[in-house]
Amino acid sequence: MFKHLFKLIWNKKKQNFLLMTEMLVSFMVLFAVFTLMVYYYDNYKKPMGFKYQDVWVINISNAYQTKNTDSLDLYYETLRKIIKALPQVQELSFVSGNTPFSQQINEGGLTYKGKHIEHLNNFTGEDSYKDALQVEVLEGRWFNKQDAVSKYRSVVIDADLKEATFGKGQAVGKLLGNDDDKNKMKVVGVIQTIKRNGDYVKPGPGIYYRADTGSFRWLNKILVRVSPGADAAFEGRLYKTMANYMKNSNIEIEHLTNKLKDTNYFAVIPMIILSIVSCFLIINVALGLFGVLWYNINKRKGEIGLRRAIGATGNSVSSQLVMESMILATLSLIIGSFFAIQFPLLNVFNLQAHIYIIGMLLSIIFVYLLVLVCSLYPGRQAAAIYPAVALHEE
Amino acid sequence: MIRLQNIEKVYRTDTIETLALNSVSLDVAKGEFLSIMGPSGCGKSTLLNIMGLLDVPSKGSIKIADRVTENLNDKQLAQFRNKTLGFIFQSYHLINDLQVLDNVELPLLYRDTTAKERKMLATEALEKVGLANRVKHFPTQLSGGQRQRVAIARAIVGKPDIILADEPTGNLDSAMGNEIMDILINLNRNEGTTIVMVTHDENMAHKTHRLVRLFDGSQVQ
Repeated sequence: MFKHLFKLIWNKKKQNFLLMTEMLVSFMVLFAVFTLMVYYYDNYKKPMGFKYQDVWVINISNAYQTKNTDSLDLYYETLRKIIKALPQVQELSFVSGNTPFSQQINEGGLTYKGKHIEHLNNFTGEDSYKDALQVEVLEGRWFNKQDAVSKYRSVVIDADLKEATFGKGQAVGKLLGNDDDKNKMKVVGVIQTIKRNGDYVKPGPGIYYRADTGSFRWLNKILVRVSPGADAAFEGRLYKTMANYMKNSNIEIEHLTNKLKDTNYFAVIPMIILSIVSCFLIINVALGLFGVLWYNINKRKGEIGLRRAIGATGNSVSSQLVMESMILATLSLIIGSFFAIQFPLLNVFNLQAHIYIIGMLLSIIFVYLLVLVCSLYPGRQAAAIYPAVALHEE
Repeated sequence: MIRLQNIEKVYRTDTIETLALNSVSLDVAKGEFLSIMGPSGCGKSTLLNIMGLLDVPSKGSIKIADRVTENLNDKQLAQFRNKTLGFIFQSYHLINDLQVLDNVELPLLYRDTTAKERKMLATEALEKVGLANRVKHFPTQLSGGQRQRVAIARAIVGKPDIILADEPTGNLDSAMGNEIMDILINLNRNEGTTIVMVTHDENMAHKTHRLVRLFDGSQVQ
């Protein structure tokens, strides 16, 4: 029967071309939507890597400038003491501008044993960074004073960079850099990757450098962990305290919780737009399919009557129509899958292959379900046609 | 072979009730070639549809090949039609998107047969109607007479006991009509197939063993 139906469809390929094209386009759009969804979900289920609640980011601009490093160091150490003396401040850390959920990035590259890692995020933080963000240390330790005098520059890497460089093996104690690199860095710790781009977007590998006294020239943000009860009144007090100390500086305080919401919102917008487009397309395909099948039944009443006369049951007529739709869907999906599989093969958007594969499988299942649902009712209507009436109408 | 007793068929709409067949009783013997004649709208095709189990009578009983058919369910009816009955229609009812061979194979698709068996039986049936050289053609590439011969091949491919032909020569000129009639007569004579044929053509009807005339839904001869 399958071969018979395939022959029937093949011989009507011109009539079926438009419907197949519509199914193909729907599959491609669904593939994009599902791939994006899987990508978001894949990132969402990963741990955040730190505790963002009750962490405030203080942006400082136009701060105190001097060529004397000792004076600068003294200025900021005093500021640190002033802030830390406030009752609800638990910990603080001066950091580079690319704090979690900010739009700033500081990317570079790294070559390890001939393998080049691109889009490597560079961070600079103090020894207190770990406690300020409560990052999860997976291996080794965070920076401490010993790192100031070590032979190699100490670095902490995140889990993504560890996987990209050392795989599942141990990273602590190993040197990073290419074989001919004279400024090799020593890994002292591995932390859980911080989802700095929000819940849904992959952060990419990251490497952390220890801030030294000279870093105050460009460390323009302070991460402050406050007590859970810290409110707007305390925020006002913190602002005033800082403003009094840092005359002529612009100070802005933001909450990581709010920044995460904004970051997530902007990440989800493309998915929402794509989902709306695909919804319209799906409705269009569903109506098109429904209409075509309905039209087919009316056009093929003679054939349906004939099949009933020569031995087909109502159910077999119904299942024939459903199967025909499914075969058409299969042909469209084979073509669609050929295009879709190119994405992981050519690594088009630098996503992991399993994200594309799951997206593809979900799209295939969805298209099959859509076609099945749209075929069932017309199929049942065809089964209800009385053979004598159908043959007479022809 | 076929026994119809007091068959009545009433078509009802919201406002009108039409009596298509009025107490028709008919026996068709095994190996008989029977023709049914009558003016348009007298109930000939309705009677043939009831004999072919394509329609159900409002009253009366039907017995075909010693089997009472009233209580058969959809699946049993389909199987019975597939194995016992062959149909030939005035407008051929060929599927234009399938080649001649595939059209002839159709009834066998609803049986437990292999592709090889289907091809062999369909080729054999086409040889009987003289169309063995047209297997790869599509129906639209054939003349009316050739199409009807394909329809006959499809009707006989499953070796049914009974063939029900609804004006098989109605769309053909006299020469082609005679050709088709000869095929049916040969089938009846050589294979012993029982044939019931509805026709408007007196000449064709007189070539059969017996003629039944209907008028306004009642049997008059």
